[in-house]
Amino acid sequence: MTTTLDNLPATRLKIYKTSPELYDAMMTLSNAAAKDIEPELGELIKIRASQINHCAFCLDMHTRDARKHGVSDQKLDVLAAWEEAGDLFTERERAALALTEAVTELGNGHVSDEVYARAAAVFTERELGQVIAMAVTINAWNRINVTIRLEPPRR
Amino acid sequence: MSGRINLNRVSPEVYEAVVTLNAAASKDLDPELAELIKIRASQMNHCAFCLDMHSADARKRGISEQKLTLLPAWEEAEGIFTEKEQAALALTEEMTDLTRRHVSDEVYARAAAAFSERELGQVIAMALTINAWNRIGVTTRLPLPKR
Repeated sequence: MTTTLDNLPATRLKIYKTSPELYDAMMTLSNAAAKDIEPELGELIKIRASQINHCAFCLDMHTRDARKHGVSDQKLDVLAAWEEAGDLFTERERAALALTEAVTELGNGHVSDEVYARAAAVFTERELGQVIAMAVTINAWNRINVTIRLEPPRR
Repeated sequence: MSGRINLNRVSPEVYEAVVTLNAAASKDLDPELAELIKIRASQMNHCAFCLDMHSADARKRGISEQKLTLLPAWEEAEGIFTEKEQAALALTEEMTDLTRRHVSDEVYARAAAAFSERELGQVIAMALTINAWNRIGVTTRLPLPKR
């Protein structure tokens, strides 16, 4: 996140002003989660979680970021149905997306052994930790921005 | 044994950052209210490790067995939870359930009426922080201590 969130129009609480330590802690977490993970994969994780959590601001930001990182329009268009898209996504991407969906949908189930094992088979332990960290972190951003109803900038 | 990774070992900066986030969210927030937020989110997210830890913490802080027992049905438990607790629990539930719906104007307004802006920010911070811990706990299948 490179945007300065404290200047954006939240229609509810300006949480980045009322809880500045939260903002600092979230930026630290975001930076920690972004290490040792390909930016394209990071963006796919962020966009898929933001779709499931219905975060408009996050979708707007990360779809643009993904394009800047060279993620194709076709991948972005089909991301919500990645399981039906054959080999458009690599096995690492698919394993990370399956894990992200499970991590995001805890209310509907657990993180199954099958989904976990698929990810553990294609990532090193360090990479797997960072994929999980990225999924956890975007879920946290989603919760903030949905709750304060941060609006996407008009383009 | 879970056979899953230990996030603290493979991604120590991430783990440290969540500890820092937790400390930030805990400021200016009533510890009893914080435990209720943490337990309710952990119930919805099915985090066994988190439920075990925070139920024990809640008892240490003097939260009654009745409150802990009734927490998943707090809306039906008239007279047991304060308005601040109810407002925070309603907000926590909607923030935890983002896949099904948004955070409604009604629930947001109830919390905004019960809390100062600073308090409200910290309630939101605590709800998203326990959601982060829940995701780590469930995904890495943190082992339960035997009691």
